Amino acid sequence: MNSKVMNLIDAVREIPDGAEIAFGGFAITRSPVAFACEMIRQNKKDLNIYQPIVCMATDMLVGAKSVKKLSYGGGSLDRFGRMERINEAFENKTIDAREFSGLSLTYRFLAGSLGVPYIPTKTLLGTDILKNLLDKKDESVMISESPYGDGEKYVFMKALNPDYAVIHAPYADEKGNVLIDGPVWDLELAKAAKKLYVTVDQIISNEYIKMHPEKVVIPNVYTHAVIEVPYGAYPTAVYKMYDYDSDMLTKYAKTNKKQEDFDLFIDEYVTGTSNHNEFLEKCGGISALNKLKADPVYGYKKVWGDKYE
Amino acid sequence: MINMSNSKFTTNELMAVTASRLLKDGQNIVVGLGLPQVATLLAKSTHAPHLNIIFEIGVVNPESVDTGVGIADPRLWYRSDYFTSFIGSLGHILQRGLVDVGFLGGLQIDKFGNINSTGVHEKDYFRHINGSGGAADIASYSKNIFAIAKHQKRKIVDMVDFITTVGYLNGGATRENSGLPKCKSIRIITNLCVMNFNNQLREMQIESVHPGVTKDQIIENTGFDIKFAGDLKETDLPDDNEIYLLRNVIDPKKLYI
Repeated sequence: MNSKVMNLIDAVREIPDGAEIAFGGFAITRSPVAFACEMIRQNKKDLNIYQPIVCMATDMLVGAKSVKKLSYGGGSLDRFGRMERINEAFENKTIDAREFSGLSLTYRFLAGSLGVPYIPTKTLLGTDILKNLLDKKDESVMISESPYGDGEKYVFMKALNPDYAVIHAPYADEKGNVLIDGPVWDLELAKAAKKLYVTVDQIISNEYIKMHPEKVVIPNVYTHAVIEVPYGAYPTAVYKMYDYDSDMLTKYAKTNKKQEDFDLFIDEYVTGTSNHNEFLEKCGGISALNKLKADPVYGYKKVWGDKYE
Repeated sequence: MINMSNSKFTTNELMAVTASRLLKDGQNIVVGLGLPQVATLLAKSTHAPHLNIIFEIGVVNPESVDTGVGIADPRLWYRSDYFTSFIGSLGHILQRGLVDVGFLGGLQIDKFGNINSTGVHEKDYFRHINGSGGAADIASYSKNIFAIAKHQKRKIVDMVDFITTVGYLNGGATRENSGLPKCKSIRIITNLCVMNFNNQLREMQIESVHPGVTKDQIIENTGFDIKFAGDLKETDLPDDNEIYLLRNVIDPKKLYI
């Protein structure tokens, strides 16, 4: 079998400083936290990140001063809090922030994944989002008319094939066929990237894929590396695998408000640990993780009892 | 806030009920979490059982039994009809033109119905708070826009600090002239009143005033010189069934109401 399995440390070593990289994940779900933590341990610099809706991992990378430019469509830590490291970097202009909407940025990846130069859309017209992008002479937007002569105005979203993409999924086989249960907001960026890295909670047999090919959302033609990292999205959720850890997310949403507190958090949890298993130990280890196991029907940790019924 | 301590319902319940009644059976709604979702679920359990509820993350018609912390919370996705991508939800359904109502919240709403969910001007800098997510897309392509907001001087404003989503832009036909598809109607539901833009200028006006609220209260809490519609009404009261459903079925943990 043509195996694409790599270990996390070697995979992250392949990403150079200044890399153009798209991230999957959305707020508190399927965030590639383990990959981002390893990038911070390896002290990556000047990253050029693209992400339709940002997730926890991206806020950590910005806070750790690994990011030079961020193109994104907004995002938060849901009710836990805000992306405060991103917000502050945006306000202090310590990163080159380019804001889009979720759909418009995804169109860049869709165009890239289809091999066409652009996708026309009316979204962003009239907004300050578009105005700011035009003011910054961002290469990705152009206002133009339909070539078919209906006189309609569109924003042409330029295709993007990022050098790298990183997503987290529950399962893949060694060949790189990827299974994701639930909504799949990051398929287009995965298919557009020149090199797709997928961290998975578990590598499964190709025999399972052969029995359930309809479950594959990203076939192996796109995949550069499969990296098995159990709980690789922790403390964010993976549908039908494990829930988000409310305690850790609450803690993170406190520490990301101030750079000093964030730095202490990173010192203790990320650079103070040598790998994801140690990070998980630091966060409470197996007893904490056991409390997060998802119910196979509900897809999250179902708590039974009067309080919730 | 208005004092409803003696009445049988809270302001949030009245807002949810009012918004719910504006939805029509069979419509396709793109909705965010919070009161908009509560209102939509209430409509679905009363007069509009055939609503399709679409979340931008790529989730259609979930029937949650546990309240989530956001649209990325798998609690929200339970018993869905369909899982898809942004392209599937905001592209193939919304941009395709199949969404009747886009239901939004935001930091500020201005007199032409433009909404800011990005950030606000502080004394010497622009404080970045959230960003568009799918909001800009939803406001661009929904046939009608609804929003729920707190009625405060700094939230209902003359001009938003940042146009994240376009309502009627600068009024009149400026939205269409910018190249955006037409938006048939915009409704803003606040804790004091319901507002629409049903006039030539496409300028915000008071459509109905909630019971117990005075015109002065609205004027005091609005950031510009607000107009009242000629056929100004009082907002209808919730009925017992709606209140029962909100408290016991839709939001029993009282996270939003």
